[in-house]
Amino acid sequence: MMVPVRCFTCGSVVGEHWEEFKQRAREGDEDPAEVLDELGVERACCRRMLVSHKDLVDIVSPYQ
Amino acid sequence: MSDQYDVTFIEQDERSAKFLVRGITPAFANGIRRAMIADVPTLSVDTVRVIENSSVMFDEQIALRLGLIPLTTPDDYRPEETVTLAIDVEGPATAYSGDLVSSDAKVQPAEEHVPIIDLKEGQRLELEADAELGYGKDHAKHQGGVAVGYRHLQRVELGDERGEFAEDDPEIIRGVIEDAGASETSRAAGDGGELVETASFDNDLGNRYPDRNVSVEDVPNAFVFDVETDGSMSVDDLVLSAVESLRTRADELEDAVQL
Amino acid sequence: MDLRVIENLETELSIEVQGEDHTFMNVLKGALLEVDGVTTATYDMNPEQSGGQTDPVVTLKTDGSIDPLDALEAGAAGVKTKADAFAESFESAA
Repeated sequence: MMVPVRCFTCGSVVGEHWEEFKQRAREGDEDPAEVLDELGVERACCRRMLVSHKDLVDIVSPYQ
Repeated sequence: MSDQYDVTFIEQDERSAKFLVRGITPAFANGIRRAMIADVPTLSVDTVRVIENSSVMFDEQIALRLGLIPLTTPDDYRPEETVTLAIDVEGPATAYSGDLVSSDAKVQPAEEHVPIIDLKEGQRLELEADAELGYGKDHAKHQGGVAVGYRHLQRVELGDERGEFAEDDPEIIRGVIEDAGASETSRAAGDGGELVETASFDNDLGNRYPDRNVSVEDVPNAFVFDVETDGSMSVDDLVLSAVESLRTRADELEDAVQL
Repeated sequence: MDLRVIENLETELSIEVQGEDHTFMNVLKGALLEVDGVTTATYDMNPEQSGGQTDPVVTLKTDGSIDPLDALEAGAAGVKTKADAFAESFESAA
């Protein structure tokens, strides 16, 4: 639904990078790997948190 | 007891650091590592009083997200002391960790830009949250250290020239090496040699020394710590509090034995 | 920290240290082995699920030149010395 606050595996805070990542790599056409490198999301466990995330608030909000 | 430690920083930042400690026993190194994870208390939201939550998430889910937001932890708090934080955001907007208003100016969200919940038109999030000083061994949200670990320092010695048709296998090592081959003078002086992070040559010694046989061995009692914090305190505070917690316990034991 | 003596002989001591875990016990064991006169030092700890003795029990034997309780005290002092030395080296390097 919303981006996880922390990485499930290591506990590093990843939520703060979501909006920039989304804007640059999802909506923009930058390479996700490069964006993550620049954001300082180094470990594979933290990177997958952002790469595999999908915002669902817009999808579920009509049904509340 | 000859307790002479030699600490060298390899990387040093406010929130992450890598440092080499020489002369430390594995038992003590592990004690420090475990203490950093489980025995250094941090403030974290523990109880939430919801005034209004008309967002798409349940109160419990919001509470979980609030709990995971790191809060800066001053060192004058005692275990189970609390601070109250409040948040009031009305949609259409996104509630961020930075919208939390704290009753203590020294206790603030360590990150301002963590989205808590996306609010649509007419939705509102208003609540009060009590942050409590707790320990990592009770709940992961109280862990100050993130991905804390250590590795042996590895020593690389150069061997013979490699044969022209020798197998070209990669020699993968990770961590930090003490490179005895880097300079003859340091080798003669017996002080080990240059400290090199293996990431600088893509973790493959074959890249650094393409035509030489190398031997790698662990340096006894030398460990490279890799410490990262979630922002609730600096690396220095985390390490020193961990050591202090071990010291306090040794002190208690000494007192208890004397009685 | 509460202690419960299980066995206290001339050269041997078994003592339960309540509320501690591997973090401290292993450091203590390491320090005990560095105390002069201590021949054996170990600790045993069982998991929560075992349903029995879950607090750690430290056991040490000496060669007779030191009273086991004094050795335990010296071990604790050793941990303190190590902690102080480490904090000092760390602070000067940081």
